[in-house]
Amino acid sequence: MRLAANLIMLWENIAMSFRSIFSSKGRAFLTALGVMIGVASVITLTGLGQGARAQVEEDLTRLGANLLIVYSGEPTTSTQLVRPRTTRIRPTLTEEDLAAIKALPENQVVLTAAESTLEGQLKFENRNMAATVVGTEPAYPEIRNFQPAYGSFFTASDAEHRRNVVAIGAEVYRTLFPDGRDPIGQSIRINGHAFRVTGVMEEKGSPTQDASVLIPLSTYRRRLSGEDSFAMINVQASSLEVMYELQERIEQELLGLRRLPSMDLANFYVANQMDVIGAATGVADTFTLMLAGIAAISLIVGGIGIMNIMLVSVTERTREIGIRMALGARASHLMTQFLTEAVLLSAGGGLIGIAAGYALSWALQHFAGLASAISPEAVIMAFSFALATGLFFGGYPAYRASRLDPIEALRYE
Amino acid sequence: MIEIQDVVKEYRMGPTTVTALASVSLYIAQGEFVAIVGPSGSGKSTLMNIIGCLDTPDDGSYRLAGEEVAELDASELAEVRNLRIGFVFQVFNLLPRATALENVALPLVYRGVGAGRRQRRAEEMLERVGLADRMDHLPSELSGGQRQRVAIARALIGSPSVILADEPTGALDTTTGREIMELFEELHTEGVTVVLVTHELELAEGTNRTIRLRDGMVQPAAAPPAPQGQNAHQQSAVAPEGQPRPLALGQEGRV
Repeated sequence: MRLAANLIMLWENIAMSFRSIFSSKGRAFLTALGVMIGVASVITLTGLGQGARAQVEEDLTRLGANLLIVYSGEPTTSTQLVRPRTTRIRPTLTEEDLAAIKALPENQVVLTAAESTLEGQLKFENRNMAATVVGTEPAYPEIRNFQPAYGSFFTASDAEHRRNVVAIGAEVYRTLFPDGRDPIGQSIRINGHAFRVTGVMEEKGSPTQDASVLIPLSTYRRRLSGEDSFAMINVQASSLEVMYELQERIEQELLGLRRLPSMDLANFYVANQMDVIGAATGVADTFTLMLAGIAAISLIVGGIGIMNIMLVSVTERTREIGIRMALGARASHLMTQFLTEAVLLSAGGGLIGIAAGYALSWALQHFAGLASAISPEAVIMAFSFALATGLFFGGYPAYRASRLDPIEALRYE
Repeated sequence: MIEIQDVVKEYRMGPTTVTALASVSLYIAQGEFVAIVGPSGSGKSTLMNIIGCLDTPDDGSYRLAGEEVAELDASELAEVRNLRIGFVFQVFNLLPRATALENVALPLVYRGVGAGRRQRRAEEMLERVGLADRMDHLPSELSGGQRQRVAIARALIGSPSVILADEPTGALDTTTGREIMELFEELHTEGVTVVLVTHELELAEGTNRTIRLRDGMVQPAAAPPAPQGQNAHQQSAVAPEGQPRPLALGQEGRV
């Protein structure tokens, strides 16, 4: 009985609030405008922040999925996964290290590719250029997500027979073959040794990759470096989840081979894609949070707008409040009536704000070329915050209405 | 129905205390048509506010339909107003943005009565006051007399113990005023208790009994209610009209 009566009251309150809002549409719009702008800016700005984050993430996974790189030497302080100048690394990783990593279970390690690099001199006909010469294994394109765009990469057979074959970067192709000649089968010289071109790699936009040539590691050792050890081992893990576990396993295996107690004394380290993603997205998240904070302030300002107008409205409707009290409305009835009105105003503002936020993000994406990713969480958060703002800032005017003296209110002109 | 015993009401105005009601006792039986008259400053408005449960006395007792209401809190008073009192004001006090029908139904909203039943009941009330063809009009689209009829219908809808009319003809011309008085007379003959508060003696002559108020006290009447009236007071104080009706919101069944 009581519940039914309360439900009827709630419904009446909503109906009354709608009537009151629709009887002064212009004012209601202006009242809700602040909340509208607040919600729209929360959604747009967090969308931009999240868009930036998604882009960073995408850039990083473009280096290769689930990538761990074992480097020779001491860890660098930078958070980069792929170091820009790998030709300076003194190689300390051995065949035993590589074998130990390859021996790890398949549910952790999918592919491996050892890698060493040096600065080389390329020559074709009368053209010369300096380039990074990468000696590596056939799995490299797969692991590093760096595929030939034309022709093919060298094969396992090439590696086994230490053939003089090379896949060249896009920049190398442009420099050595400016006439656009088909390079496949052509012979170029690397540090004086003749190599047959098998393919041209895709353009990555990174000078280190585009101005490099890739040859079998076996050939690299025999003809160019003469060293048995190598600088890096690229490892593809089976999933993101196992990456930290795998890093730990690799560190333990390699420390065991070196009879070292801890990583402090090691002459190698493992760079983990997860760490790099974490660091970069962390920056983007801070950025997002800051934008959301600024937007939230505008929501609060919108709430103050609601409070202002609701206070005016309570004063204007003093007589109405008196009449309702005389007819038996209790303080709680009037409290809920005005609270409902404030919450409906902020909810309306919130809904329009969500639509405006989506429209604005769409416009920024299409006309300004900005990356934007609106998450449902951000929308729900902004809307709930708008409702809470209405409830909070509607509270005081509603309290004022409910505390009026019926006799005074009835006498109010 | 209304039993007021030694009621005192004082107002503090800065350092001085103004006595609005010195010591008022009065009794109004069920079905009576009574006028409370007095010049301005006589305490008439204060008495009306107390009878209407808009205010509580500082001292004394007020029993309404057998229930002591002198010491109820604001929320309980609102409930009593909703169930027991039907107000008719001088300036009508209708909600300007609500139709006649919505205005009449309003007291039932605070009783938790569903929309369908409210509407049916409000339609009955408007028919009863002769406004069957004006139900969907806004107050601004009605004449003064029609507005007051809407207000009377609103006062009647909750089947209150008493209709409390404060200068109900004060804003109307003589003819319309007379029509409204006739409507009260009619309600009285149907058994509704009506208390008319006015400063016009002429208006009071239309009622059964006049209670004169001066300087916060009830004046001895020229033709006082016979000693039987006093007896009736004594008796009804013991057992007013049988069982006292319980005050509860679950009473819409009676509506």
